Amino acid sequence: MTPPILQTSAHVKYIQTLDTHSDRLDYHLTTHLRLSGVYWGLTALHLLRHPTALPRPATIAFVLSCQHPSGGFGASPAHDPHLLYTLSAIQILATVDALDALDADKTVRYIAARQTPDGCFTGDEWGEKDTRFIYCALNALSLLRRLDAVDVDAAMAYVMRCRNPDGGFGMAPQAESHAGQIFTCLGALRIGGALERLMSQDQINVLGDWLCERQLPSGGLNGRPEKLEDVCYSWLGVGGLALVGHEGLEEVDPVLICSFLRCDGGEAG
Amino acid sequence: MSLYSRDPEWEDVVPLPQDDGVHPLAQIAYTEEYAEAMAYLRAVMAKDEVSERVLKVTEDVIEMNPAHYTVWLYRAKTLFALGGDLRKEQIFLNEMALKHQKNYQIWHHRQLIMEKIGDVTGEAEFTASMFEKDSKNYHVWSYRQWLVRRFDLWESPSEIEYIDILLKKDIKNNSAWNHRFFVVFGRDKDVPKEIVDREISICEDAIFIAPQNPSPWNYLRGALKKANLPLSTIEKTCLHYAPLDNPDKIKSSHALDILADIYMEKAEKEQAVMALDLLAKKYDPIRANYWNYRAGLIRGV
Repeated sequence: MTPPILQTSAHVKYIQTLDTHSDRLDYHLTTHLRLSGVYWGLTALHLLRHPTALPRPATIAFVLSCQHPSGGFGASPAHDPHLLYTLSAIQILATVDALDALDADKTVRYIAARQTPDGCFTGDEWGEKDTRFIYCALNALSLLRRLDAVDVDAAMAYVMRCRNPDGGFGMAPQAESHAGQIFTCLGALRIGGALERLMSQDQINVLGDWLCERQLPSGGLNGRPEKLEDVCYSWLGVGGLALVGHEGLEEVDPVLICSFLRCDGGEAG
Repeated sequence: MSLYSRDPEWEDVVPLPQDDGVHPLAQIAYTEEYAEAMAYLRAVMAKDEVSERVLKVTEDVIEMNPAHYTVWLYRAKTLFALGGDLRKEQIFLNEMALKHQKNYQIWHHRQLIMEKIGDVTGEAEFTASMFEKDSKNYHVWSYRQWLVRRFDLWESPSEIEYIDILLKKDIKNNSAWNHRFFVVFGRDKDVPKEIVDREISICEDAIFIAPQNPSPWNYLRGALKKANLPLSTIEKTCLHYAPLDNPDKIKSSHALDILADIYMEKAEKEQAVMALDLLAKKYDPIRANYWNYRAGLIRGV
């Protein structure tokens, strides 16, 4: 097999023009995740070594225009605030080194108000709970150096309640193990500085085993047993292994993962 | 195509277009329809209007874009403020969920509605119809767990009977196995011995059909732990699928994996290393590094 070639300029161009497609339906159907879209695009540009391909002042202005009076961020201006987009906003500002443009106190108050007495976080004021939101909150607060604003120990204890007999983690206590939720749970434990304290070496091994079992003969990883592999779960699964510093990480063959580049769109990026 | 601008019910509303600049919207008729509905929705949202027509426009927008979470929230607020017909909403949600399988905003909305209705009638049938389309839909399973907790369905025989049906269709459905574990072992209370025995034998039957299926093996580990039984309770089963004295007859890498732990439990290190070596060399070589790492931990002990 000839090694795949990364179409860097096509990818950069694709990301740059995403915002100009306002005549297309998918532009309007994705306003509810626009801010995260900017973060993903920006991160991809940095990985492609084109960190300045998006205009910095306009990026900062757009992020700030998504902030709600409560301190949280919506996905687009005038959308309801949510932890998902609040994290994206802070990640973007951190990436372009503009965190000082943010009213940090107000943002921290919004995030802290999402914590529930059991340690979990809700995504917004409407109460949907999910281990993803714990990760969002702790990641955002750690970027702002304000983890002191919430009860980190309670959050850690809640994450551990979501651990299953098969070694994985789910979105809530007793929910099925899922590679995406494992990534967010481990990320939360890592940011909270509690991973090695709360997980025994044996538990980490069983979890590593579960994640390694996600790799299929194509090289890609699936998110749950007996499901199909895709790029998203390949990233999340390997990310989970990296978070536990798993010695078995090399089990996931990087060349095979790269062959997933077959998933790109060629000239179209 | 303009629906709202010609509707007398909406003539008092000045539509609010998206505020991130001017752009051509005329190329796809469907886009125009969506943009118009959104513009009228923004206008009523800006005034925090609570009215029947809010239900209409949110329904319209949700039909076109069910992932728009702000619209769901506004709809829920309006429904509750108006004292709207929640059973009718339940039926609307059935249609939307069946049409948009991957949407997840809808499940939280459904929880809010069912919490208010306070009666679980119809939900088992509805979730079953979702599982007919995708028996591993994560959001539907999470919702089904919520139903069990909220409406105290732990002892309801139909819950286990339904899982039996799903597992009969697909013995490798890990989501169904997870729900089984949740229903049987999910509460902080001791599970009677006859139930534990029943579960062990159900796992053994499933393993007989597909020895390489990880779900029943994981289930056994979890069940034994919950029942405070040692792993060696299933040593015979493991040896049946992984006879260490006759390695050519090994049928399950999971049996080998558990055997390694059983021998560690019994402090028989050599046997444990033997099981891990077989995994690394022959029965699960793609994860050889992992098995060697575990064997290394034992040798180093």
